[in-house]
Amino acid sequence: MAEVESISHSGICVHDLKEAEDFYCKVLGATLHSRVNFKTQDALRGRSIHATLALDDYVFAIMLTEDWMEVPERGQLRGANRTRHSFCVPRARFPEIVKLLEVNGVPFEGPVTHPDQGPFGESVYFRDPTGNFLEVLWRRDEDVTYNTVQPLGHGGGG
Amino acid sequence: MTDASAGTDEPRPEGFSHLVIEVADTDRAIEFYGVALGAGTAVLNAWPRADEAALALASGQALAFRAGDDGGIGKESGVHQAYACPAEARAGIADRLRACGIDVATYHEDRPPEAVDPFYFTDPFGNRAQLVFSPGEGAGISGIDHAAVEASDIEWEEEFFVEQLGFPVDHRVGWNTADYVRARAWAEGKEDMAPGTRRMDHRYRDIPGAEPGRGREVARPNMQIFLGLERGAIGIFLATRHRQEPAPETARGTPRTALAIDRAGLDRWAAKLAATGVAVEGPVEHAPGGPLAASLYFRDPCGNFFELCTPENGSPGR
Repeated sequence: MAEVESISHSGICVHDLKEAEDFYCKVLGATLHSRVNFKTQDALRGRSIHATLALDDYVFAIMLTEDWMEVPERGQLRGANRTRHSFCVPRARFPEIVKLLEVNGVPFEGPVTHPDQGPFGESVYFRDPTGNFLEVLWRRDEDVTYNTVQPLGHGGGG
Repeated sequence: MTDASAGTDEPRPEGFSHLVIEVADTDRAIEFYGVALGAGTAVLNAWPRADEAALALASGQALAFRAGDDGGIGKESGVHQAYACPAEARAGIADRLRACGIDVATYHEDRPPEAVDPFYFTDPFGNRAQLVFSPGEGAGISGIDHAAVEASDIEWEEEFFVEQLGFPVDHRVGWNTADYVRARAWAEGKEDMAPGTRRMDHRYRDIPGAEPGRGREVARPNMQIFLGLERGAIGIFLATRHRQEPAPETARGTPRTALAIDRAGLDRWAAKLAATGVAVEGPVEHAPGGPLAASLYFRDPCGNFFELCTPENGSPGR
C-alpha cells in the first residue's frame, strides 16, 4: 500500500471568492498565487472557479461552491462543520494574530489554553466570511527538533 | 457595491464623452439612431475624425459612427452599448423598432441598476444595444448609460483599470455562489439571460455522479466586472471564445469608448498610461471649432479601444 507523506494542499469551499480572498490575504496574510476561470482559455476548458493562496509553505485553494452550503449559525465560533483548518504561528507572534482579528472586527473565541502535557499551547477560534471554522495556535514543541522518521527496513513490517 | 478605489486624489474621467460604433452605412445609422431611437438628427460639425460621423445627444454626449464591418460581435457576447432614455419614450421606440423589423428582447443582466424593465435589441448593423429607462420626458435616447466590452483576461483588465488607473469596481459577477445558482436556473430555462452573462461549460473531465451523457456540462456565470464612473459604468465581460485582437501597437481604432476629462487631467493621464506599457497615441490636439479640443487614444491589455478627451470648452461638465 502506498504511504502518503504529508498534506500537499487543501481546498476551502466559499460562497464569495472576493470576500474570501480579502479575508485570507488581508487578515491572515496569505498571498494570492493564481485565479482560475478569469481567462477565456479556462472558460473553454470548463475549469472550476477558484483561487490558489499560500500561507507560508501551506498552499490552499478557495473554491466557489456551485450551491449554498449548510452553515452553522454565525454566533458559533468554535466547531467543525465537517472540517476545521488550523494554522500554526510561533508563540511570539500569537498575540499579533489575536490583535489582527480584533482590528479587523473578526469575532473569535479564546485564547484557549490547552493542557500542559499536549503539543498545543493556545488557540483562537474564528470563522471566515463564508462560515468555515478556523483556528490559529502556537505549539509547545516549536523549538523541538524531531528525529526524521526512518523508513521501515527489510522485515520491519513484521 | 464599490470595492476598490485606488488613486482617488488623481483626476478621473467623470463619464462618457462619446461612443464610436461600426456600421455598414453612416447615413443609415444617423437615420436609425436619430429617428427610430429618437436621438434627434443633430450631426456634430467638425468632428475630429473625417471617417466618423457623430450625432449630438441631449446629454451633451455624442454617438459616432464609422463605416466598417458590421458590429456582429455583440450578438453572441456581452458587448453592447446602453443608452439612457426617458421612460415615456419606451412605447414609441418599441413601435418604431418593430416597424424596422427589429425585435425587442427582455432578457436580464446581473448588475442591479439594470434589473428593471429590460429592453435590448440589435441595430441593423449588428450592434447589440440596450435602453435604460429613467423618469423623464423626451422622445428618445438622451445619453450614454454604460458600455460593455469583452476581454480574454478579466484579471489583467482589473489589474490595468483598477490597480494601475484607479477606477473603482462597481459590481462583480461570477464571484459568488448566488451567481452559480442563477446560472443553473438559466440552464433549466427558468431565467432568460443576456448574451455573455452565462455559459454552458464543457469540462475537460467528467464530473463524478453527473447525469449520464451530461458528465461534462455545467452551467456557470460568465465573469464580469463593472468599473464605476461618476456618471455611468463600463462593463467588462469574459470573452467566451478567442477573437483576433488588434496589433499591440495600435492605439486608435473602433469600436471605441470615449471618456471625458479636463485638460489638466488629460495630460496627467498621458503620463499615467505611458507607464502601463499599453499602446497610447496623443494627446492629439484637434482643429478649433469642433466639439473636442484634444484626445488621448489607448487600447486596454485585451485590445479594446478607449479614448480620453477634453471637450472644446475645456471641461467635461456634462
